[in-house]
This record gives sequence, structure tokens and C-alpha cells, in this order.
Amino acid sequence: MDWFYCPEMSVAGKTAPLRVSEVSSIIEKLLDDERLQDIWVKGEVTKYTRSSRGHCYFTLSEGKGANIAAVISCVMWKSDAERLSFIPADGMEVIVSGSVSAYAPQGRYQLKIKEMLAAGIGEKYLLIEQWKKELAAEGCFASERKRLLPAYPSRVGVVTSETGAVIHDIRIVISRRYPVEIIISPTAVQGEDAHREIAQAIRRLADSVDVIIVARGGGSFEDLFPFNHPDVVRAIAACPVPVVSAIGHEVDVTLADLAADMRAATPSAAAELVVPDRKVLHEQLQELRCQMSGALLDRVERARVTITDLRDRLRPQRFFRKVDERKQATADFADRLERAFRTWTERERLLLSEIKTALEGRNPLAVLARGFCVAEKGENVVKSVHTIVEGDRIRIRFYDGRSHVIVERVEHDGNI
Amino acid sequence: MTETYEQKIEQLKKIIEKIEDGNTSLDESIRLYEQGAVLVKQCEALLSEAEVKITTLSRDA
Repeated sequence: MDWFYCPEMSVAGKTAPLRVSEVSSIIEKLLDDERLQDIWVKGEVTKYTRSSRGHCYFTLSEGKGANIAAVISCVMWKSDAERLSFIPADGMEVIVSGSVSAYAPQGRYQLKIKEMLAAGIGEKYLLIEQWKKELAAEGCFASERKRLLPAYPSRVGVVTSETGAVIHDIRIVISRRYPVEIIISPTAVQGEDAHREIAQAIRRLADSVDVIIVARGGGSFEDLFPFNHPDVVRAIAACPVPVVSAIGHEVDVTLADLAADMRAATPSAAAELVVPDRKVLHEQLQELRCQMSGALLDRVERARVTITDLRDRLRPQRFFRKVDERKQATADFADRLERAFRTWTERERLLLSEIKTALEGRNPLAVLARGFCVAEKGENVVKSVHTIVEGDRIRIRFYDGRSHVIVERVEHDGNI
Repeated sequence: MTETYEQKIEQLKKIIEKIEDGNTSLDESIRLYEQGAVLVKQCEALLSEAEVKITTLSRDA
């Protein structure tokens, strides 16, 4: 009989066995809980080793010696371990960030660490993270709040230590570039009370300058810590004039940098940002001067063109052309008149010659020319022989003259 | 000089615009040019001659 084989009871591992990998997979799923992912954990480093490949293995424990309350295995892969700013050692209080996960081949769970900070610093770091959230919620870092720096400031405020390289560097750079008034608002830049002093130094300047540089030389994380303080961040965010920050080295980013309108890598770079370079301004000025001369020359040229144009318009050619046009019109008119007159006279002449012909046809003398004569007695033409008697004196008219005759005898036709 | 460098440069740019504008008379343009030349000289003087002045505020204020 097979003691271990009961097919009717093999449900979900309660009665029948699960494979190890199945159990392991359930554990893995259980550990995938957001309370165990991306968390910060504080504890003491013990059993620290670094493998030949560069990975770090250790145990994070709470409590010491016989009073150890809990331990958890930790691993930090080489790529993350390389970024550590210190070398961990047993007994060190640290704050680590990472996620808990199961490691099936060894049946263990462990904390995979991305970041590790020494406890004092680590707490400050966490504090900064907390401030960052609060200040971001207040709008201190909002990009729409960022202002442009004035192009030509006349007064530059500098918030920094009155001794040391920072103010010296800023002075040198500004003096070389552009003549402004530098107003130094001195402050402590590190120490317990530094954040209050810095905030005050910023507020002191706010009304009397066009732009402010808040600067500090390089230092440790803790040296720069006051520049993360909300007092300083709020003073910068509330500042009525633009603020340029230059705090620590380029790799150090403080909350003050995030709140500033512009961040510079170094104090000298900040100085270059706030004032223009007089060499460049000289060049711009020359350009403007050239542009102005060019504009005036153009204006003169335009005036010359206008004058030429006016002179052209004044010349007599135009007048003569007008006269010519009139002359032409007059000649055309005369032509038309002459033509009309000729037509009229020819027609009249024709009419006249017709009348003449007709008139000539009716001329009595023309009849005489054909050999006829007209007898006239006194004032009358003798039309009938009855009107004369013998002895009458009458005139005979020929086509070329007259003769006076005396009637010898009268003979009547027909009636005789 | 009461005007800032920035104001002078702005004035200079306006003068150039006016001269370039076709509606400005020649007389006016010449007058503007003379005015502009004075501004250029003043700006140059500001850049070359002015010195950086340094004041330190009291920490108690």
C-alpha cells in the first residue's frame, strides 16, 4: 500500500505535498508588499564583507549582543556600492534604502540595498527629503515662479561670508565685466544658526538691489546643510528680486539651489550670470552705432531719390508734350474743317454749273445765235404781224447787234 | 547721469527705429542721429570709466 498516495485528497498542498519551488513562489508573492518595497531602514551593520566581485553583504541588526531584537540579511550590488561616500564597517549605525525580496536558492529573504547613509547624515538626508516635499507643496520650486535676471543691473546683492574666497572671486569677476554697485550682506554660512542668518541676510538686501547672489564655497554635506533649511528656501522663494545660487560644488544640489531663479556651478559663474560683459556691450554699442549711421544714410538716399523725382516732374518736357497734344488736336480739327469745306464747295460748284447750263438753255440770245432775230416796237417785242402797220419804225435784234428798219408792207398769213 | 545704461540703450534703439521709419523727416532724422551719437558716447563712458563700488551691510540691521 502507498501511504503517500491519496488521489481523492490531493488539494492545494493541505493533504498532498507542494513542490519546494511552489512554496517559494508563494513566499515571493507575499514579500511583494509595498510596505517592504523602497523603504528606509535604520540599523547597525554587522558581519560586513565585500566579495571579490565588489558586492557588499552584511546584516542589519537592532539591539546589541544578547539583546539583539531582530536582524535582516542585506546585499548591496557592486554598481550601488560604488556610489557609497564612505566605507561601511561593523558597528556603524546606518540608514539604508531598498526593497525586501526572497532569494529562493538559499531559502532566505534579504534586503537589497540601493543607498546607504551614515545614521547622523542619513537622518538629515531624510529630513531634507521631507522638507523638499513640504516646500514643493508650497510652490517654492515651481518652474513658473522662476524669473529672468535683469539684463543691466545697477546693484548686485551678495549673501555670503564676508571673509574667504567666495566674495573675492565674485568681486574680481564683476569688476572685470561691468560697473555695478556690489552690496555685501554678510552671514555665517555654516553652523547651528546659519540658516536663520542666511535668511535674514537675503531679506536685508531684498529692497535695495536688482539681483542677489547666494553663495558658499565647497564643503561637506553637513557644511551645506543650512542651505537646505526651509527658512533659507522660503526667503529665496519670497525674494522680490531674482536670486542666483552658487552653493558648494556643482555636484551638490541644495534646496536653496532648487528655489533659486538660476543656479550657478561656482560663485564666479554666478557673477558672470548676473552682470553683462562690457566687452560684449562695447561690441553691441558699435553695432548700434553702425545701424544708426546706416539708417541715416538710407534716409538721406531716400530724400535724394525724392528730390530727383520731383525735379523730373518739374521739367518742361511735360508742358511741351501737353502743347504738342493740343497742336495735334488743333491740326486734326483744321483738317476736318478743310475737308468739310471742300466737300461743301464742290457740291455748290456742281449745283451752280447745273443752274448755269439750265440758265443758258433759256437765254434768248442763244436762240438768236442760231440765226433767229427778234423784232421790237418801242418797248415791246413784236409777237404778231397784227401789231405793226406799214411805215412803223421797228428794231430788229440779231445775236450780235440791232438794225432800225421801216416797215414797207405788212402781209398776214392765212387770213389773206 | 541719471539714466541707466539700459535706458540709454533703449532710447538708442528707438532712435534707430525712428530714423528707419519712412515717415520721419530728414531734418528730424539728422536731429535724432545727433542725439543718438551723444547717447553712444555716454554709454561708452559708462562702460569704460565707471568703477565697481562695494558696500557692506551691517549684520545687525
